[in-house]
Parts: sequence; structure tokens; C-alpha cells
Amino acid sequence: MILHNLRVTHWRSLLQPTEVGPFVEGLNVIHAPNGTGKSSLFEAMRRALFDAHLVTGKEIEAVRPWGRSLAPQVMVEFSQGCVRYRIEKVFLDSPSARLSRLEDGEFVPLADGRNADSELREILAARDTPGRGLSKQEHWGLAQVLWAPQGALSLSFVSSSVSENLRAALGVQLTGESGTRLEELLEEQYLSLFTRSGKPRAGKDAAPILAMESQLAEMAMERHELLAQQQSFEEAAGAVEDARQRRAQARREADALREPLGQTRKLAESFQRLQSDLQQKRQTEQTAKERHESIGRTIELIADARREAAGLKAQIERDEALLGELAAELKTASARADERRRQREEARSRRASLSQRTAEVEDARAFLADTKARQALAARLEKLQQLQTGFTAERQSRAVLVAPDDRAIRDVRKHLAARGKAEAALQASLIRLTVRPHRAATATRKSPEETRAISAGEAATFAGSPEVSIEIEGFGSIHAAGPEMDVDALRGEMAEADRKLAKLTQPYGTQDPDRLQLVRDQAKELDQKIEVLERQIGELLGDDTTEELQGDLAELDARILERTGRFPAWKDQPPALSVLQSALEEQRKAIETAVVQAEDAFDEAQAGAQGVEKRHTETAAALKGARLALEAADRRRSDFTRDGLSDHDRQTARQEASMAWEAARAQAEECKRKLEEIGDDPQKSLDKMELQLRALEAAEAAARDDEKKAEGRLQSLAAAGAYSKLSACEERLADLTGRIRREKLRMDALRLLHDTVASCKAAAVAAVAAPVERTASRMLERVAGPRLGPVRLTGEFVPAGIEPKALGEAVELDNLSGGEQEQLFLITRLALGQVLAQNERQLVVLDDVLNATDTGRLARLLTLLEESAGALQIVILTCHPERYRALEAAAFFNLQP
Amino acid sequence: MKIIHTADWQIGMRAESAGKMAERVREERLAAAQRVVQAARDHGAEMLLLAGDVFEDNAVDRLLVRKAGEILRRFPGPVYIIPGNHDPLSPGSVWEHPVWAEAGNITVCTRSEPIELETCVLFPCPLREKYSTKDPTSWINGRAAAKPAIGLAHGNVEGIPSGEPDYPIPRDTANRRGLDYLALGHWHSLARYEDPNGECRMAYSGTHETTGFGERDSGNAILVEITRRGGPPALTSIRTGGLDWRTVEHSVAQPCTLESLVQQLAEIAQPESTLVRMRLDGMLFPEDRGALRRLEELLATRFLFGALEAEGLKPAPDGEGWIESLPAGTFQDAARKLRALASQPSGTDQQATASQALLQLFDLHERSRE
Repeated sequence: MILHNLRVTHWRSLLQPTEVGPFVEGLNVIHAPNGTGKSSLFEAMRRALFDAHLVTGKEIEAVRPWGRSLAPQVMVEFSQGCVRYRIEKVFLDSPSARLSRLEDGEFVPLADGRNADSELREILAARDTPGRGLSKQEHWGLAQVLWAPQGALSLSFVSSSVSENLRAALGVQLTGESGTRLEELLEEQYLSLFTRSGKPRAGKDAAPILAMESQLAEMAMERHELLAQQQSFEEAAGAVEDARQRRAQARREADALREPLGQTRKLAESFQRLQSDLQQKRQTEQTAKERHESIGRTIELIADARREAAGLKAQIERDEALLGELAAELKTASARADERRRQREEARSRRASLSQRTAEVEDARAFLADTKARQALAARLEKLQQLQTGFTAERQSRAVLVAPDDRAIRDVRKHLAARGKAEAALQASLIRLTVRPHRAATATRKSPEETRAISAGEAATFAGSPEVSIEIEGFGSIHAAGPEMDVDALRGEMAEADRKLAKLTQPYGTQDPDRLQLVRDQAKELDQKIEVLERQIGELLGDDTTEELQGDLAELDARILERTGRFPAWKDQPPALSVLQSALEEQRKAIETAVVQAEDAFDEAQAGAQGVEKRHTETAAALKGARLALEAADRRRSDFTRDGLSDHDRQTARQEASMAWEAARAQAEECKRKLEEIGDDPQKSLDKMELQLRALEAAEAAARDDEKKAEGRLQSLAAAGAYSKLSACEERLADLTGRIRREKLRMDALRLLHDTVASCKAAAVAAVAAPVERTASRMLERVAGPRLGPVRLTGEFVPAGIEPKALGEAVELDNLSGGEQEQLFLITRLALGQVLAQNERQLVVLDDVLNATDTGRLARLLTLLEESAGALQIVILTCHPERYRALEAAAFFNLQP
Repeated sequence: MKIIHTADWQIGMRAESAGKMAERVREERLAAAQRVVQAARDHGAEMLLLAGDVFEDNAVDRLLVRKAGEILRRFPGPVYIIPGNHDPLSPGSVWEHPVWAEAGNITVCTRSEPIELETCVLFPCPLREKYSTKDPTSWINGRAAAKPAIGLAHGNVEGIPSGEPDYPIPRDTANRRGLDYLALGHWHSLARYEDPNGECRMAYSGTHETTGFGERDSGNAILVEITRRGGPPALTSIRTGGLDWRTVEHSVAQPCTLESLVQQLAEIAQPESTLVRMRLDGMLFPEDRGALRRLEELLATRFLFGALEAEGLKPAPDGEGWIESLPAGTFQDAARKLRALASQPSGTDQQATASQALLQLFDLHERSRE
């Protein structure tokens, strides 16, 4: 696109019609001070080219000149594809649009209203319409890269539509016109089956395979159910077959069982009959046996009774003789035992003498102990008496000694010092008058009156206060006066000290502190002695008192006296305890030995007597028992023989019973043999077989029931024709599976084709982007030197960064200075513009850019702009025209009137 | 005496390979049954022997059983049927259907015991389960028969490659069992077994109507003529099949060969009863793409059923003209990549997908030039 003329009216600050142009195909600089409407001019051009004339809203309202009800108007003349157009639009009030084309030197209307809007977008290849609002950058077609509004030079964000437009523009070069059509067809085909993210289309225009797969899932369910039905049919057939087999088997087994069952039943009957016979025979046998045994037993009992009676009689005779002998022996033994008892008691009586001797030994031990205790106690009391005597003496001494305590001595010393001090002060305050007459004289003092004879040459001193007046006989009076002092107070102090001293020392008879201290030391010494004695007495007494000790002594004396009364010899000679104890032990041993011997002898005699007595008792009892047994045996014999039979008769009867028993036993054995031939009771087998037969009959009946049920189910399933349905279902399934496979192949192939073409195209685009990168890199190096390195663009043609050679790795744009960033973005736009201008010159608009670029780099950029102007029309809007004056070929347009 | 020996009608079978024409294929099996009966009448056969697998399964639609019974009922002579392994004599089987009792001329042989007929003795060998390793003819002793002894059995003649022995039948069963002829069923292709004397006394009639692609010598019945006991039977194959199942396999090695296949398909008579499965592999040359499309069209429209399996075709490696005809740049690059993928060994998904992608690319290219 090439811009020729631009006219704007009622647009923001451009109140009056403002026309700029005609522009040259190379460099154009529109300049004016701030606020005069440069950017409004650029904005008006964008609105004219890319916005619908009917657009409403706050944004377009803001375009209206402030405070005026004027409709913004704009006219743009431009060329596109070697055709010159004019677009005229009025916004807001009576909005209108008219697109004209230059034909034969005149602009001829081409479209108006909405048609003008859409036709214009078509001409400018701005396919993305803005909708109801104002257009944004993404609606500007290629201008979004080539036109840089004020403050928007950067290319940090590019919308997808921008990149698509760029790709579309580059795609023409990649595939050519026919390739574009093919690409469109491919895209159309692809989007008919897939979403742009590559998923099969769903919803209203869903890919056919989705419906097929859904159908397949339903059919798979149907097949599953039919297969189950088919299996049920086969299982039911199997169940019928099984039931038939079971029924037949049960019937066969029952038939097979019936014959042996009959035989067993007969055998069981025989067995029961034989068992009954055997029972009767055994009873007969038992009866015969019992009779035989009864007769035999009677014979034996009679014989036993006879033998027993004979034996008992002999025993009675022996016991009677023995009883007489034992009575005599018992008498002798009793007498011997009595003698031995007497001897034992005698021996035991000797133990009394032993206790007397033992008491004597105990007395001797006690006597000796008491004597020893008394001696110790007496010594203790003596010592105690000594100590108490000393204690009493010291206490008396201490009682008579009046001694001050340490405090009193300290007070005496204090008062003495006070008194001395007062006295010294008094002496110092007195007026001293010393008289030494040449000859003897008498001096009289009036107050206090004093007369003193003074020898010749003798000095006599009179002291007083406040004056001293004496009268010397023969001489006259002498008056001496001095300074007036408070002598009375000093005297009072002395008197007070004397009073206190007198009070303190009155008990002691002296005011000499040293003497008082001596008395005090004496008293202390006495106190210490008393304390020692008191402690010794306490230790000696312990817990006792002197009275208690004296009581103990008296008790000991009494006990000693009592024992010496009983044993007078001990007064002179204390007893020898060991001698007494030895004698006692010897005596005790002799007595105990005699007692043991006597007791043993008694026990022996006593045991002998008791043994004889026991035998006698036993013999008597035995005799009595024998007599009773004899009576019983006689009674039994008479009972057994009461039938009156003879022994012979009884033997005969026994033989007859024996023969009957043998006969009965033989019959029972025969019966038993027959039973043994049969073996175990057949009734058990019979019971089991009958149970088995009933079970088999029940099994047959159950199998018949099962068979009927299964047959009913089978007929129902057979009537359903499950296999035919399953076949039809599987045929449809196979057909559908085949169609899905083919459709999937078709889709996979289309996806593969689409993706392959896309990847090839991406590679081609990348290859195209490379020259753009190279161009931009060269430009940047020319402007900023080699330090920044090559420029790197993203796949969306957005500058991603640079690769300084010194670093060897990419650096993001944020690391560049503001000036370098704007230089890089301008260079990128110029490089892209050069690529896009290969087929047709393109318009580049730069609104107030390069404000952060220094003068040196600006000069180099201007050179680049001049070079780029060979392929691009460049329109620069600035408030600093002087910066661009170096552009010699540029056309300058001053907006300022 | 003249007998029609037929078997393996497989009424009610599934026909997955026939796609949407499966029902038509099933119906044709009943039509073929009518042709068998008609052929028996036409050839004056006294008896019709069905050697098993009359039905595909015991759970087929009972209406089919009724239809088959009614068709056989129309035969004026006796019909003897043995259950086969597909329709064994088991509870709930098709043989419990009342149509067999209603038809006075049909005997479903349910016991392995001789049936004394006026002109021959029949030794039927009905099967009671789907699988067995037992020789179903082992009970037969036809040596004592005064009349021609004819066996009717279903199983695998030893020597036919199969897995585990399943109803094995010795190759010399006819002679071993004293049979004049043993009518066999189970295998769908017609097969004769000659004894050392060169006489054929046992044979598979094969199915009366071909069941699918690749079946050899099927769609027949056998007319058996026996003049006397011990005499050599005369066997005549009678065509009963109505559908023509054709498999066309072609490996393309030279350009412009697909056109001959187009011609071949165009020349097939009675396409309305023909099912065609065409398998192509080898090279796909640019000049053959039109023929390939015509093949697809023919198969889809001319025949009862047609299927083209062309996934095995790879773009010809030296067909640079394909790629050069595309717009230069992206599309040629993409086409070369796809051709490299398509040139991988056949059978891989990626190869087939890439081949298809190439074809789609060229189709789109052609559309873009319209």
C-alpha cells in the first residue's frame, strides 16, 4: 500500500480541515509541535482504512472535537496493487463511507456504506473484522507490523491473527497461487473432520467416525447380549442332556438294585428267624446249665458245711486250751509291770534334790553379781560425793565473789575517762596564783576560805575561777583574774561522772578498772570450774539421781544380806560358781540316767503285759467266732439237706441235668452255625439298599423335573433363533468395523497429510524467517556495532532477543537499554517490511519513535531509513523535525499553520 | 438306483465377508437348496441324502428350519438326513422342529443303525455333539448286506490337514465297512476318494452354495448311480450354486496394468450374483490412479458385492512425476516425506496411512486445479 493524500476534519484537535500530501513513495516526515494533531492524523487514517463507518461507542465519541457536535471526517488516497483508491468516511453524525477508484484520471465511486467498508478491508487484506467496536491492531492486516503508533513501537506481543497474516503473506511465496488453493482445500478437508487442536470434530458437524464408533459400541453391546443368549441356548441344551443322563443313570442304577434287594430281603427274613431260634435254644441251654450247676453247687455246699464244722470244732478245742495258758501268763506280766512302774517313780523322785542344788547355783550366781554391782555402785556414789562436795565449795566461793561483768567494766572505764576529761578541762579553766614569799607568810583566801602558811622560798599555788584573791599577811592582797570560764558545768560533769562511777562500782568497793577486771577474771574461772563439775556429776549420774543410786545400793545390800543369811559361809568366802555348777551337772546326769533306765524297764514290762492281754482277748474272740461259725455251718448243712435226698440221689440228679444241658447247647450251636453262614445281619444291607433305591427313584424324579424345566427353557431359547440374530449382528458389526477401519485410515491419512504439510510449511516459514533475522542482524550491527550480535525472532516474527558473540548464548530483550530496544524493534519492522515489499511497495508509519536513541545511532538509523525507502514508503510523525533534516530525499510536511 | 448326495447347506450361516449383502447370501442358500431338490427331480433321483450340517447352528431362526423342511418336503422321494457337527442331535436341536415329523418323506436319522430300504441298506452316522475323536462310521458292517450298502457320515477323512482329530474317518472306510458308497459331509469342496482299483466309493459333495471367498470347487451336489451291489458307483457333479464368489489378487509391477483389471471386472457376466474381492499390492503409479478409482467404482456399483483391498499398494519409487506435478515448495516436501513413509515394508499401519495420505494429496491437488 502506498499513501498519497490524507485529509482530516473535525478530528480531536484538528478542528479545521487538515490535508497532508501528496506523499512521496520514499521518505515523508510530518512534523509539528506537541498537541497539534500529528497522532490524530495517523489515527484518522487507521479509522478510515480499518473501521466501519457505522461504528459507535465511547471510543469513537472521543474523536469528536471537544465541546462541539461535529462529525469526524477523513479522506485517504492510497494505492494498492497499482490501483489508486480514495476512501472517504464520516463518523457518528450521518455516518457515511465511500470508496472510489481512480479511473481515467478521475475517482469513480466503487462502493459506499457497508460495502465500502468490506471492499476496503478486502483490498487491504485485513480479513479479521473488528465487529461492533473500533479496530485494534490485530485487525489491521500487515499494517500491524508496518505501522507503529505513538508509544507502541515494540513488537513484544503479536496476536495470532498477526502471525497468521504474516504467514499468509509469506505463504504466497512458499507455495504459490495453486498451492494456496490446495492448502485451502486441505484445510477445509481437515477442518471437516478435525478441530484445529487435532481432535475429531464433535457436535453438529461431527466427524462420521464418532457416530460410527458410537454405533459400534451399541452393536458390541447387542452382540454381547446375543452371544450370552446363544451361550444360554447351548447351556440349556447341555442342561437337558445332563438331566436326561442323570435320569437314565438313576433309572439304570435303580433297576440294577432291585434284584439284589429282593435277595437281601429274603436273606434278612431267614436271618431273623434263625436269630429267634438261637435265642430260644440259648435260653433252654441256660436253664439246663443252671439246673446242673445248682445241683452241683448244693452238693459242694453240703460238703463244705461238713468240712467247716469239723474244722471249727478242732479250732475251738485249741483255743480253749490256749486261753487258759494266756490267762496265767497275763497275771505274771501284770505283776512285773507294776514293779517296774514303782521303780520308775522312785527314780523320778530324785529329780527334786536336783532342783534344790540348781537353786543354790542360781543364788550363788546372783550373789556374785549383786556383790559386784554393789562395789561398782559404791565407788560411783563415792565419786559423786566428791564431785558434789567440790561443786558446793566452788559455788560458795563464787557466791561470795561480787564481780562486775564485762559491760560494767567498760562503763566504769568510760565514766572514768569522762571524769578525767572534765577534770582536765576544769584544771585548765582555773586561774592559778603562785606565791613564793621570801619570807614565811600566811596567805588567806577568801573564797573559798582557805588559809595557808607559806615558808620562805616555798611556792604556794591558789587556783580558782573566775578569779583568785588572796590576802597575804604583811604583804597585802593579791587578786588574779582571767578569762571567765564555765567551771561549774565542768564540775557538774565531773560530779555526774563520779555519781555514775559510784553507782557502778558501789558493789565492788573500788573504782579501779584493772582491779575490777581482776575480780571479773576470778569469777569467770570459778564459773568454769562449777560448769566442769556440774557436767561430771551429770555424766556420772546419767539418767539416775543420787537418791535412786542410793536406793539401788540399799537394795543390793539387802539382797546380799538375805543370801548371806541363807549361806553364812559366803560372808567370808564368796561361793565358787563353777564348782557348784559342775557338781550340779554330775548329779543331774546320774539322776536322769537312772530315770531313763527305770522308764525303759517299765515300758518293756508294760508292753509284755499288754501283748499277753491282747493275745488273750484275740483268742477269746476267735473262740467265740468259731463257736458261732460252727453253729452257722450246722445250720447250712441242715438247710441243704432239708430235701431229704441222699448224697447219691443228688449225684444222679446232677448227671441228668448235665446231659440235658449238653443237648440244648448242641442245638443252639447248630442254629448259630447257620447264622454264621449268613454272616452279618442282612437287615442293615437291606435298609441301606432300600434307602439307596428310594434315593435313586428320587434322583430320577428330580432329573425328570430338571429335564422338563430345561426343555421348556431350551424350547423358548431355540424359538428365539439366537444364532441367526447373532450372525446378523456380527455381519453388521464386521461391516461397520470395516467401514470404521477405512474411515480411520482416511482420517489418519488426512491428519498425516495435514501435519506433514504443516511441518514442512513451518520449516519453510522458519527458512523465510532466517533471512529476516539476517537482514535485521545486519541492520542492528550497522546501528549498534557488533557487540549485540545477531537478532533472534520467534516463529511469530517477534524479536525474542539477541545473541552477543561474547556470551555465546541468547539474551532477552529486557537486558537491553531502552534505546537499544526501540532500535531493535524499528529494525525488525523495517526488515519485515522489506520482505513484504518484495512484490509491492509497502507503507511504514512511525509515529514519534526513536526518542531514546542517541544522536550517533540516530544518524546511522536515518541511513537505514533512506536505504529502506527504496522498497518502502516511510511516513514519520515527529515533533523534532530537526532530527530528520539529514534525510535529504525526505518530503517534510509541517502541520502548523 | 440314483441318489443325490448333498451336504453342508449351512442354512443360517453368517456371511461377514459379504458386508451388507449377508442376508442376500443367506437367502441364496435356501434358493440353492431348492435347486438341489429340482436337480434331484430332474435327474430322476430316487433318494436324497443330506450328509450333515444342513444348518449352521442349532440356534438358527426356526423359520429357516421350517423353510428348509418345506423345500425338502417337495422332493417326491425319501430324504435321509444325518445331523452334523454344526447341527448335532442334541437337546433343543433343529431336529426337534415339528416340520420333520410333518414331512412324511423326510427321515432324520437319530440312531447309528442300519435302515433297510427297498433298494438298499442305509448306514447313517448321526452326530450328537460338536467335537469327537471317535470315527462315526466305526459301527458299520455292510458286508452282510444283500442290497447296495450306502453309508451317510459327517467328519474328516484322514489325510485332510486339520488340528486335533475331529470325527476322523479312514480313507478306506467304504471298502473296510463293505459299503458301495459312503456319502460324506463336512468339507465344503467337492472331493472324491478312489480306492486302489480306481473306483470312487466315497466322496464329499461339498456345500451346495459357496460359503465365502476362496472356497474351491463348491456349490455342487453329486448324482450317485449304483447299478448293483458291489458295482462301481457313477458320480456326477451337478452345479447348484447361484452365487459367484471371486477373489482377484493382483500385484502391480508395471504402470497401466490396472486398466486391464478394470476390463476384467467389466467382462464378468451376471455381476448381480457375483461377489468380488480384489486385493492389490505392489506399486501404484501416477498413471494408474484413475484406473484405481474406476476399480473402486466398479466394485462398489456393478456387483452384488465388491471389496477393494488396496492398502498394500505403495507409491512407485521412481514416480517423481507425482511429486513434480504438485506446487513447488511445501507440498512437494510433504509429498516426499509421505512417500518415504509409504515405502516402508507393507503391512504396517504407517505405510498404509502414508500411502492413503499421498492419494488424498493428489486428489486434493486435482480438485485445486479444477
